[in-house]
Parts: sequence; structure tokens; C-alpha cells
Amino acid sequence: MIDMTTPAHDMTAVSMSPGRVALRRALRHGGFWIGGTIILVIVLLAIFAPLITPYDPSIQGLAQRFVPPVWADGGSWQHPLGTDNLGRDHMARMLFGARISLGIGLLTVVISGSIGTAMGICAGYWGGWPDMIINFFITVRLTLPVVLVALVVVALIGSSLWLLILVIGLLLWDRFAIVVRSATQQIAQREYITSARAIGSSTSRILFREILPNITGPLIVVASIEIAHAILLEAALSFLGLGVQPPNVSWGLMVAEAKAQLLFRPWMIAIPGTALVLLVFAINLVGDALRDVTTPEGKA
Amino acid sequence: MIVYLSKRLFMTVLVIAVTSVIAFLLVHLSGDPAAAMAGEGASDADIEAVRATYGFDRPLYVQYLDWAGRVLTGDLGRSTYLRADVTEVLARHMPVTATLGACALGFALALSIPLGVFAALRPNSMIDRFSLWLAVAGQALPSFLFALGLMYLFGVHLRWLPISGSDTWLHFIMPSIALGYYATPAIMRLTRSGMLDVLQSDHVRTARAYGLAPWRVVVRHGLRHAIIPVVSLAAVQLGFMLGGSIVIETIFSLKGIGYLAWESIQRADIEVIQAILLVIAAAYAVLTLLADLLNAALDPRIRIS
Amino acid sequence: MPSDTRILSVKGLNVEIPVPGAILRPVRGVSFDVGRGETVAVVGESGCGKSLTALAIMGLLPRQAKVRSEALHLNDESLEAASAKRWRQLRGDRIAMIFQDPMTALDPCYRIGDQMCEILLQHCKMSKSDAIVRSIDLLAKVGIPAPTERLKQYPHQLSGGLRQRVMIAMALLCEPELIIADEPTTALDVTIQAQILRLLRDIQRETNIGLLLITHDLGVVAGMADRIVVMYGGEVVEVGTCDQVLAKPLHPYTEGLVRSIPVPGETQQGETLGYIPGVVPKQVGELVACGFVERCPYAREACRAGAVSLRDAADGRLMRCILPVDGSGRDPAVWFLPEGEDTESTTKNGSI
Repeated sequence: MIDMTTPAHDMTAVSMSPGRVALRRALRHGGFWIGGTIILVIVLLAIFAPLITPYDPSIQGLAQRFVPPVWADGGSWQHPLGTDNLGRDHMARMLFGARISLGIGLLTVVISGSIGTAMGICAGYWGGWPDMIINFFITVRLTLPVVLVALVVVALIGSSLWLLILVIGLLLWDRFAIVVRSATQQIAQREYITSARAIGSSTSRILFREILPNITGPLIVVASIEIAHAILLEAALSFLGLGVQPPNVSWGLMVAEAKAQLLFRPWMIAIPGTALVLLVFAINLVGDALRDVTTPEGKA
Repeated sequence: MIVYLSKRLFMTVLVIAVTSVIAFLLVHLSGDPAAAMAGEGASDADIEAVRATYGFDRPLYVQYLDWAGRVLTGDLGRSTYLRADVTEVLARHMPVTATLGACALGFALALSIPLGVFAALRPNSMIDRFSLWLAVAGQALPSFLFALGLMYLFGVHLRWLPISGSDTWLHFIMPSIALGYYATPAIMRLTRSGMLDVLQSDHVRTARAYGLAPWRVVVRHGLRHAIIPVVSLAAVQLGFMLGGSIVIETIFSLKGIGYLAWESIQRADIEVIQAILLVIAAAYAVLTLLADLLNAALDPRIRIS
Repeated sequence: MPSDTRILSVKGLNVEIPVPGAILRPVRGVSFDVGRGETVAVVGESGCGKSLTALAIMGLLPRQAKVRSEALHLNDESLEAASAKRWRQLRGDRIAMIFQDPMTALDPCYRIGDQMCEILLQHCKMSKSDAIVRSIDLLAKVGIPAPTERLKQYPHQLSGGLRQRVMIAMALLCEPELIIADEPTTALDVTIQAQILRLLRDIQRETNIGLLLITHDLGVVAGMADRIVVMYGGEVVEVGTCDQVLAKPLHPYTEGLVRSIPVPGETQQGETLGYIPGVVPKQVGELVACGFVERCPYAREACRAGAVSLRDAADGRLMRCILPVDGSGRDPAVWFLPEGEDTESTTKNGSI
């Protein structure tokens, strides 16, 4: 319809590597700053948790049960976020819960990312039978209800933190595989791969030097989505009682423990709930920003 | 067309078969089924007795084939806790989940399709940005939190809606919203991008060139095309909702399949767990098959080729 | 042209499209009229703005495109002042458009009959059964065999030529006064092209409607048009009757176009055809010289001095060139330069 001429190019893009271009664009992206700041704050709070709060999150103090947060009647700066039904300090539980949520998110993504990337590269690079088989695996994995499977495994084996991480990691690799597969397919078709093969480069050399660096863009975007996914899944499992177990703390677990207090003390649910939403929202913002800056055409 | 159909059907059957194996292995390898069934505090002798009675001492593949054979004849096993046939138990709990799923999907579609259409009609406007932000926020909110929030606001504070049970249609409002909203961002985005595309197409230009009323142009000639991939996505999302129903059903005490699954997991009622895993997976596989078929039926380009 | 026989009057039509960092002007100050029973051909190569002109006249450009004109009248009704509702009433009813590719222009999901009846039910107050009867009548009129069966078919079940006939039938449904045909034969086989053109001509003679024919193909123009409007770079560069323009082109661009067509009976086998060197320039910003100067073999210093305006030539013709209006000073041989000797043909960004 309309014969639009292409607008003037960003001349700086010509002389810099794609990584630096993406970084520059990221730094100008509003979502990146907002999301990144929130994540940074939460990470710092988690890392320095023992320095921030004097309390141990699992020490019970039955004398001070249900102390409201400092902004409500009866609250005090002694327990800025109040205490729970067993007298444990909320702020301490929030800070240590942050460690668990972030830790689980990162570790599960390492596992699922490795599995999914390996499968995606195999499927995308070799095509043919490996592709069909891996596609079949992906379809089977998508057919299984993730929450149910995780619940069943944890319930029957017994819950430990490492088992939880392993189970979630073994369940959330599908999107990695899908994205890496299509990215690998696109790159494998390009000419510099055929020429690399023509000059006799070994397969592993091609994989590591040509393909891997070029899929980092989409890979990072998917990783951010899956970290959020893992955190939400862990929260749901902990909420149902089959995730993180006491004496460990998790925001999902805190919501579960507070469920009975919905009627009279909604702040007990609201505090960990808000933190959870804030964290996932921030991760999504950063993920969206990364997606925007790694697509050549920019925002749709 | 027939070739395509039979290939997809074969794939579906194969996928269901493999997931049945996985469901079986999950349940039988995650610890000792005999011990789980015998319960806590059972002695070793008790456990051995259970093992012999239920045939857990046979080789795994024999147990699997036995179970698979029974499933194919419609016998999904027997619940040790409820002392009833699993098939019958599932049939009793299915209607609640089916209703919940349908309402949740209905809510998601009723919210996201109009939003997607309006966002595409006025890109970068207020409504576009609003729906985009709604989508991002929606994805950050876990369903259990949203459910609790709804419960507090409408159930406790305002007292408009009941917070547990499944007697009237009112009981399904909050659960449907809590279960359905998670599908909203994906559906809205797909509708929006599909509409943006189709509104640029030649046949929409023709419809405009002949002065047809705006709603006709947008809906009959625009949405009709853009909705095709959304139908597939909706079927897939319904499948996800079936799996995610466990959280919502436990919060709102809706006695559906998810609730049953939860209770069975806590009671280590092996046969039920296995059966539910299989049924939900099979439902999802059938739904995706349906989605593909609907896609082929509605898309004129496939009809042409 | 006397105003009572004038259906369409376009004066000073401009289309501006803001893009990041610039404003595109693909249509600049275009003016022409179309009379009752007259065929006006707007000729030019891809990118000259002729299709955009047609879409602007129909009010079909997207919101970002700004359309301004001194006057845009359909039968003395001012179109640029018309409300969106009035536009919708006019389109399809008083003024109809035929598009280039009937395969994509028709909606593949609906039957031919549904698409035709939709138009009738929208504009003409008639019942569904009357609409069906009228649709069948028109399908027969445009030469489609078995029209009753065709109504029930989908667009992909018809051949290209039949689809274009259907489009013509759709355009005629409400008895419009003006039909705009945008490259109606470009997507068709050569043999079918002649049939479609003949059909258009016959219909026009019978109904006395005005026909605005947009095309890049001078061959199409020769048998069809009463008057020719030549466009280049968004501007009208020459206007005249068909015979006048084809026999004695005044503007160098028209001359180049005409010379590049082989003439049956004259052009010998093995003879090189003339060609216009260079490519269409981008249309950003205001013109500060003649728009054709980069490709014109007659170009001289004076051509770059400033924008060239449309001048009256003899016999009611118009041309946008500083060369003599009587056609002297031209040399047909300049269009047959061997490869490599063309004048500067690089496109320049920004204003020319």
C-alpha cells in the first residue's frame, strides 16, 4: 500500500558489536531501569539479610504472636513488619525468604536451561531424526500438568530443598528447547556455517564458536521468563505445603501459613504476596526490555 | 487432509501412551508404593503384605502393561481410600472441573478478545497501553494470590460472593476469574497482533472501499481471520487450566478433579493419582488435537491448498 | 470541462506522511478532472504516487497520512469536508474502486454472493432476495457464465480473469458515477487483460460512468483512455488527450516512456528499445529543482534553478518542463544511448 522509505539508521549500530548495541539500547529502556532497580534492591536485601535484621526467621516467640506491622495499631519498630502466628519476625522471614526464592529461581534455571539448550541445539542443528525425537519429547512434556507432577514427586519422595530444585529444573526446560531450537535453525542455515563446515571445522567447534554466541540473545530473554516461572511454581508448591518446608522460609509458604488469617489479619498475606508480585513483575519488565533490545526491528 | 488428520491422530495416541508410561513410573518410582499405601507407622510385615496383595513385587513393565490393559477397557483402578472404582470417582468429580474450566476460559476470552481488538484499532493509545500493562501485571500475579485477593475483597469484605463450595453458579464466579485471568495476556496479545495484521490486508481495504459499516469491517472481515490462531491458543490454555485447577479448587473448596488429586496425593492413593495424571494429560492432548483441527477447518488458506 | 458533466474534480491534492525524522510527500499538488462518460488514465511508474492519489480520493489512506487539497469534489459535493459517515455512504455507492489483485482483494472466507449482497444491503434498500437477483444480473452482465452457481462459490474457486470480472460486477452493484480502477489488469494473463479492458470499455459506454484508470502500462492506455495524466515523483508532469500525448509527448519523461514501447510494424527485430536511466527518487521534503532532472537527457543548468510549475501548452495540454511547449528541441535518439553513458542516476536522499 504505502511505499515507505526506511528511516535513517542509527549510525552507531554499524560500528559496534551486537552485544554493545543491545547494552546501549537496554540502558535507554525505561522498563529495564525500573525492573532492574527493583531486582537489584531485592537481591541486595537478600544477600545482606543477616546484617539487616537481628532476628532469626525460624525462632519462635510465643509471647509476641500476631504483632501487627508498624503502620497499624499496636505495631512498633521492634517488629517493623509484624510477627506471625508463631511469633516469628516477619521482616526476617521476608528477607530470608527472598534468598530462597531468588536462589531457587536461579538454580532451577541453570538446570532447565542446560537441558533445554542442549536439546534445542541438537534439534536445530542436526534436524531430521534428532529433531523429530526432541519435538516429541517437548510435546510429551507439554502434555504433562506441571504442578501435579511436581506435587506427586515431592509428596511421594519426601520434600527437601534440593529435590524441589531438581524437580522444577527437570520440568521447566521446554521453552528453552523451543526457542533455542528455532534460533539454532536460523543460524545453521546461514552461510558462515556452511563455509565453516567446508573448511573442515569440527562440529563441536562450530557449535561452540559460531552457534552458542549467536543464540545468547534469545537465550537470555527466555532465561528471564523462566526464572519468573520457576519462582511462581515454587511459590505455588510451597503454598500447597509441598514446596519449601520449615525451618526454611519461602514467600509462598508464608502465604500458606497466613491463609487462615485472611479474615482478620490480611496484611500477613499481603506482605509476602506483594513482594512476590513485585519480584516477578520486575523480572518480566527486564525480560520484556531484553526482548525489545535484542530484536533488530525494535518494538512491534 | 485425510493424511494430515491421521498423522495428527497417530501422534496424539503416541503422546498419550508415553505420558501414561511417565505417569505410571512417576507414581511407582517415587518411593515405595507399598509403603505409601500401607501408611505411616506400618510395620515391615504390613508393607510386605500390601506389596503381595497389590502385585507391587512384579516386574515394573508387567505392572504397567496390566494397568494399561485395564485402562483401555475403561477400568482406571480402584481407590484404596475411598473404596470405590476410580472411574466412578472421577466421573463424579469431573463436572465441577469441567464447569470451572469452561467458565474460566469464557471469562478469559470475553476479556481479552475485545481488549485485543480495541488495542489494535487504536495502537499506542490509552487503551492499548492499558491492556499491555494489564497483560504484564497479569503474568506477575500467581493464581493463588489472586484467588486469595478476590476472596478477601468479594467474599469477606463486601460479602457479595460465597467463598467455598459449588452449589450455585455464584460459587463459580471468583474461581473462574482466578483461574482464567492467567490466559488473558497471551490471548490478548495474539488477538492484537492478528488484528493489526489483518487490518492492513487487501480484503479489509476492499470492505472499507465499499463503505461497509465499521463493525462489519472489523468483525466480519477482520476478526474472522485474526481469531483463527486464537482458537488454537484457547484450546491449549484450557488444557493448562485443567492442570492448574488444583490450586483454585483447593482454595475455594470446589470438589473437582484438582481437589480430588490434592486429597489423593496427601493420602498416597496411588491408583487415583495415576489415573488423574493420565486423564488430565489425555485431555490436554485431545484439546491440542482439536485445536489443530479447528485451525484447519477455519483457515481458508488450508482449505485452498 | 463544463462543470455539469464533471464528476470528479481534484485540485492541488497533497499527501504527507510523517516518518521519524522527515515528512514524505508522495503526492504533490495533483490536479485533474474526470467527466461523465470519460476515461482518464493516470500513468506513471511504481512509486510515482498514482495509487496513493486514488486512495486519497477514496479516503482510504491510514490515519497517519495527511491529505490536503484545495478542492476535492465529487459532483459538486466537497469530499474533504465530508464526515466519516458521509464517506461511508459514498464509497461503494457513488464511487467504487477496483483493485489490482482480485485474489487478495476478495475475502477468502466468504462466498461471492455473500460479499456482493453485503454491499447491496449496506447501500441500497433492498431485500435479500432482490439483492441476490441483482447480483446474478450483474455477474451475467460482466460475462461470467453460470452466474447463479458462481454466487455460491468462494473466490479461490474462480480463475484470475473471472475474479476480476466479479470485482467489476461488485463495483457496478449500486450504479456508481465514478469507478477508479487501480492497475486492474496487471495481475492477469496477457490474453485476459484484453478481455477485461474491453469489458470496462463496453460498460462505460453503456452506463456513461466516469472511469479513472491507474496504470503503469502505456499499452493499456492506448485503446482505453480519452485523456492521459502523466505522473512522476508525486507530481503531474503532463496532461493531454490520449492521441496528443502518445503521438507527440511533450514532457521528457513521457517521451522516454513512449519511446520505450516497441511499435508494431515499425520496430525491427534486434533494435534496442529506448529506456529511461536511473531509478525513482525518494520524495522527502520540498522540491528545489525539477523532479526529473537526475534522469532527463535534456537537463541543463536552468532545470536546477528551482521547482518547475505546470505550464499551458497548445490545445489544452499541460506540461511541467522548461523546454519549448511546441515540442521543438527534442531528439528521440537520446533515449537510445548505449549502456554506461547515462546521466547521473544515483538517488539523492533528502530534497532533490
